[in-house]
Amino acid sequence: MPKAFLIDTSRCTACRGCQVACKEWKNFPAVPTKQHGTHQNPPDLTHYNFKLVRFSEHMENGTVHWNFFPDQCRHCIDAPCLAASAVPGAIIKDEATGAIIYTEKSKKEDFASIRSACPYDIPRKDPKTKRIVKCDMCIDRLQANLLPMCVKTCAMGAMNFGERSDMLKLAAKRLATVQQEFPKAQLLNMADVSVIYLVADAPATYHKFAVADASDSTNAPGMTRKEMLAGAFSPLRKIAQSLQG
Amino acid sequence: MQTIEVETPAALRCIETALSRAVKDIPALTPLLEAFGPLLTERARLRQTAPGWTGPALSIDAERFNQGAFVLAQTEFGGGFEDMSELLPEAARTLLPVMARSFPAIAEELTTLGAAIESGALTPQALAGAGFGESVEVPGVSPMTLNFAASELVRPFVERQAEDLAAMVKVLPWNQAHCPVCGGAPNMSVLRRKEDESEFIQAKGGQRFLRCSCCTTEWKHKRVSCPACGCEEPDELLNLRDPARAHERADACSRCKAFVLCLDTAELAELPDLDVAALTMLPLEIQTRQQGYKPLAEHPWSSL
Ligand code: SF4
Ligand code: SF4
Ligand code: SF4
Repeated sequence: MPKAFLIDTSRCTACRGCQVACKEWKNFPAVPTKQHGTHQNPPDLTHYNFKLVRFSEHMENGTVHWNFFPDQCRHCIDAPCLAASAVPGAIIKDEATGAIIYTEKSKKEDFASIRSACPYDIPRKDPKTKRIVKCDMCIDRLQANLLPMCVKTCAMGAMNFGERSDMLKLAAKRLATVQQEFPKAQLLNMADVSVIYLVADAPATYHKFAVADASDSTNAPGMTRKEMLAGAFSPLRKIAQSLQG
Repeated sequence: MQTIEVETPAALRCIETALSRAVKDIPALTPLLEAFGPLLTERARLRQTAPGWTGPALSIDAERFNQGAFVLAQTEFGGGFEDMSELLPEAARTLLPVMARSFPAIAEELTTLGAAIESGALTPQALAGAGFGESVEVPGVSPMTLNFAASELVRPFVERQAEDLAAMVKVLPWNQAHCPVCGGAPNMSVLRRKEDESEFIQAKGGQRFLRCSCCTTEWKHKRVSCPACGCEEPDELLNLRDPARAHERADACSRCKAFVLCLDTAELAELPDLDVAALTMLPLEIQTRQQGYKPLAEHPWSSL
């Protein structure tokens, strides 16, 4: 039975508990960071930060709005990164959960094409191991029937996890509640992803890649431009790969 | 009282996943899981088609209920579940062969029992009686086997009726440690996460539900308290557990030496079937008994 997250940003207080818990569970070291004049820290996802709480300030009618967005891999249903993969077994889908997993073999992938295939700009490269890395839905925990670490940690009920069908129901229910106060509230790319965000305002006021970029869509039904390009190039890449061994 | 409704098709799937996970996690328990697994599945299947409570809607005296008079203690006709005896021969045709395969040591007795039911030598009424603990004699079948088989046979019908009865008192408060439907003692408990609509920090601990050993009804119960003697002294209440399986514990009371198994689901991604969960807790149950504690009520496999 496929699983899903509902990330209800209207409940998020940006405590960053999930961000830290993810790092802790993965045993990742601290990363050098910079002060960019915001609380968002580090400034972006890294090979040691699979989860990042994004902070976005903007002014509306003289009032400062501060939006929080706990960003992570969406575990897309038809994952463009998987479609772009040229190395068999490097990017796989765990059928039991729907998690998109990058394996050891991702070392041999062309990082640039995998990263650019992702509509949410999630994949990163670990310079030490050369692997492409990202959130793995805490597959090790799920296989032990434990909740993903970020979900277990969230004390505000922003992070929810369960059967996809249950999360869709919960999403509809929460949307109706949040819309009473914030009419612009919406669920992001719900049909395409396993990590569904509920936002209270226009997605762009949260994060540039909060939603899959609509300008990417082409005439090919169900295919983004990136997917199509990836599709066109992958046979070539496969040949190149086999030459490299 | 707050009860959890059991949705049956999902229940079957839930048993299967819980069983295969348990076999993988604790290979040593495989023989036990393979013996009781098919029985649990078949029981769930029977429960799915069982009729439920067909009697008149009960008039529950809320005041008496509040004082501990459970639903069946308030019926006018004898205080029991509805007679399901005429459905038992049909149920026996599917359940007894499953049991015979699972428990080869008593297979012969079960076949004899099946034949006695088919021939009418054992009447459905007597069979139902045996299921509720009456002493009934069938030549060639030991009292223990008869009692085990008969109680497994009536169980699906009892559980299905209890579901309907529990729904009738869903909104009434219930503070007792015995079952609000049939008055049975709990042999299992579970901590469940609560969906919390408030805007504040959410409790992670979950609410405690006790589960009836007779009809599997669940009801909310005070978390820090012994269901046997009511002791609420934190110093006297212990959680025994294997650190490797921290979500499984035996909640024991050093004052009265009683315990009840408890599954803490707060961190679990999926809720396992509670019978399977209790089955996987058998090693813990045995250790807890070895330390001198007694369960409030047993499981069919407790005395193995
Ligand atoms: S969000 Fe990006 S990295 Fe994650 S599955 Fe989708 S395409 Fe792949
Ligand atoms: S699911 Fe696990 S890996 Fe993914 S963001 Fe949450 S904690 Fe990190
Ligand atoms: S733990 Fe919950 S509240 Fe805190 S930042 Fe993460 S999602 Fe937001």
